[in-house]
Amino acid sequence: MTATREIVTDKREQFAFHDDIAYLAETKRGLTRATIEEISGIKEEPEWMLQYRLRAFDHFQKRAMPTWTDGLDKIDFDKIVYYRKPSEREERSWEDVPEQIKATFERLGIPEAERKFLAGVGAQYDSEVVYHSVKEELSKLGVVFMGTDQALKEYPEIFRKHFGTVVPAEDNKFSALNSAVWSGGSFVYVPKGVEVPLPLQAYFRINGENTGQFERTLIVVDEGAKVHYIEGCTAPIYATDSLHVAVVEVVALPGSKVRYTTIQNWSNDVYNLVTKRAHAYENSTVEWIDANTGSRKTVKFPAIYLRGEGATADIISVAVAGKGQHQDTGAKAIHLAPNTRSRIVSKSVSKDGGRATYRGQLKVSPGATNVVASVRCDALMLDDISRSDTYPYIDIGEDDTSMTHEATVGKVSQDQVFYLMSRGLTENEATNLIVQGFLEVFTKELPMEYAIEFNRLVKLEMEGSLG
Amino acid sequence: MTVASPRPRPQRQGLTDFTLAVTREDVAAIHAAQGGPDWLLADREAGFDAFEALPAETNDLYTTYIDLRGAHLGETELHRTPVVERSAIALPAGAAGLLVVTDGDLTGAALSREAAAAGVVLTTLADFIAARPDRARALLDNASTLPSNDRFAQLTRAAWSQGVVLDVPAGVQLADPIVIRWVTGEAGRAVIGRTFIALGDGAKVRLLEELVGADASTAIASSGDATQSFLAGTLEVHLGRNASLEVASLQELPETTVAFQHRNAVIGEGATLHWALAQLGSRLVRSRVDNRLEGDRSVVEQVEIVFGGDEQLFDLTSYTRHIGRDTTGNLLSKGALLDRARTYMKGMIVIEKTAVGTDSFLGEFGMNLSKAARSVAIPSLEIDQPDCRRAAHSSSVGPIDETQLFYLESRGIPPDEARKFIVLGFLEPVVARVPVADARDRLRAQLEAKWDAGVGAGADAAA
Repeated sequence: MTATREIVTDKREQFAFHDDIAYLAETKRGLTRATIEEISGIKEEPEWMLQYRLRAFDHFQKRAMPTWTDGLDKIDFDKIVYYRKPSEREERSWEDVPEQIKATFERLGIPEAERKFLAGVGAQYDSEVVYHSVKEELSKLGVVFMGTDQALKEYPEIFRKHFGTVVPAEDNKFSALNSAVWSGGSFVYVPKGVEVPLPLQAYFRINGENTGQFERTLIVVDEGAKVHYIEGCTAPIYATDSLHVAVVEVVALPGSKVRYTTIQNWSNDVYNLVTKRAHAYENSTVEWIDANTGSRKTVKFPAIYLRGEGATADIISVAVAGKGQHQDTGAKAIHLAPNTRSRIVSKSVSKDGGRATYRGQLKVSPGATNVVASVRCDALMLDDISRSDTYPYIDIGEDDTSMTHEATVGKVSQDQVFYLMSRGLTENEATNLIVQGFLEVFTKELPMEYAIEFNRLVKLEMEGSLG
Repeated sequence: MTVASPRPRPQRQGLTDFTLAVTREDVAAIHAAQGGPDWLLADREAGFDAFEALPAETNDLYTTYIDLRGAHLGETELHRTPVVERSAIALPAGAAGLLVVTDGDLTGAALSREAAAAGVVLTTLADFIAARPDRARALLDNASTLPSNDRFAQLTRAAWSQGVVLDVPAGVQLADPIVIRWVTGEAGRAVIGRTFIALGDGAKVRLLEELVGADASTAIASSGDATQSFLAGTLEVHLGRNASLEVASLQELPETTVAFQHRNAVIGEGATLHWALAQLGSRLVRSRVDNRLEGDRSVVEQVEIVFGGDEQLFDLTSYTRHIGRDTTGNLLSKGALLDRARTYMKGMIVIEKTAVGTDSFLGEFGMNLSKAARSVAIPSLEIDQPDCRRAAHSSSVGPIDETQLFYLESRGIPPDEARKFIVLGFLEPVVARVPVADARDRLRAQLEAKWDAGVGAGADAAA
């Protein structure tokens, strides 16, 4: 038997990179009211935003650290730089992007991706959007896709109407932190009836030791409109801990359709603490497609509040936890209106001592009649030094809800491995294929290029001494 | 249904406020009345310290699902001194033993000749401590069978005034069940008791635990104005190698009762434990079951049903810990809820790294029969050993199945009857496990009466 042999090794370091960038402005380490006033001042923000930030900061200080997940007490908030500005203004075209940053993006493969079929690129280099282009046809349709800071200036009305309405600053300790120091992120507005024909894409990455990344994304999809938004993350590796605290708000107005896809591959020193939430109105559909392979610890539960009758929620959450990692991920579907439906599918893989946790909530409020909901969680453990947890919360307050929940945990089937090996695959190839098959519910929802990239990532993570 | 007259509340009560007054002096007084050894007093005091130090819920997973507001125990008086009136009591048909505790006092005990001859002991904890101090100390000391992080288990450890011991020597197999009955009679009394069940290697016993009101016929639905009673109890189970224990528990206390239960089982090599738990009564139930599958090839099977109505809250937690090799856990909880009843079903399966070859399943199923009812299910898994036969849970909440209804109606059964059949059938898995025929029939009657009352009231409300 080969059970004692190492099946997989982590090769993430090969893809890490770090460029030395001259920052034009940055705040001192640590967080005080003065830091927040400074950030707001550099950005020349309206007074209401400064007041909002300060209120959020007060709440952040008051709010206790959550204890239901562990390890967060290791974050030293005084060591973090809360704001860095790498270049003077947002770049309009590819040619204007500084060479050094461009070289980094080359390695990420953005230009090719854009040439091929991406509608726009909103690449976040540390805390500011440095490059942004929206294809002309989208502008003609009235679609707005820009940095959140820019949107605050250019679209103040729609911005203020929706900002902080889906995720209030006081929602949790980290939404309060983000609300206090947010910087960058994407703003998307899709007007009534407009279908965005291609996915909108943004790359985020952290560059710079101890740089917090606190992006804020707001997506408003008007009645009958349709959009697919994609974000992917990579970041270089550092010895000390980095912090990523993001807030994503999605407003899906009646009859709209929104899909939000994430591939999270932060380096293994990043604390990734994200609040993602969508409000789904009448007959709208919201889909979170969420994969987490990187970070030291991710705490993220994409949520959909089904507020309008006939709304649909679909959440696919995938996590791969390797050495030293804890993926504390899951999903929430909160049914607040009649005839709403939700589906949650979660797949996790833990290996090399990693820990994968599914934590989810399914709630049917009184008055939300005729709800149909399902939750499915499957976990695969590749060795017995890893750990897998499942914590689903199911709270049903109506008498005609139809809800099912299933969860299983297991290892790679030796029968399946044997079958594949009898067909000429090596043990490693067989295991790899089984893991890819296990995750296929996620990969098949991705655009082709992302699916290839994701499968390559999984394969590289699975590659090891066998074969 | 008319609007209930508003009852005056002493003051606004928080979700985790526990209103029963228990002091260190109470603990000392209880111990003095019992007259036990010094180590026992130390054990009680350690329990009281923990009770004072701990929050109502220590598991961060569950802190949002605790609600003690249904318990108004400010006027309830703690039982301190047990009165022993060992009246002659007849064994019910088909039982090997019977012990009755009424309002904390022993009111009867009987054991069949065969059981007594085989060395089975069924007695009060105080008597057991006096008669067999070393054995008693092995069972009680350090409270290893009460969870150290549970505030109310520690309250029980500190302030128990009555206890029961069933001690079955190795190799003894009783054909007929033992019945232990706790009765709440007078309103406004708080009784805290402990029950120990110890089975030697290869022993085999069936146990029926009855938690009932003094007048079983009027039973569950009793008048609303009486001062609440409190009954806290335990079942602390030790199973030797290859021992087998079947426990059926019927909780039919009046709705003026608040019931706290701690059940803990340490299951030895090759041993098997079956729980069949029926929860019908009480205003508020807070129950916790800890199954520790320590021995290789040990097995636990747990079936729990809830049939709730009115304002009842059933707060039910179970922890099943797989430690030995090739252990099996099969847990099933089912709740049917009328009126404004609520269930919190919190089930946790832990598979430790040593537990190779585990087969573990947890199912939590709810049926809300009223728009105001609420079912919460939190079936959790924590797994450190993937080399298992099965590790899964499943949960569903749904209304009465229309196709089943249609089938029964097509066989000529009126809709109301058909609905009743389906609901009672949903709860039948536990009923069928009750070992004494009389008790089984009484449980069926109770369930049916509750259905009739609940549906009748619902029809009134709709009118």
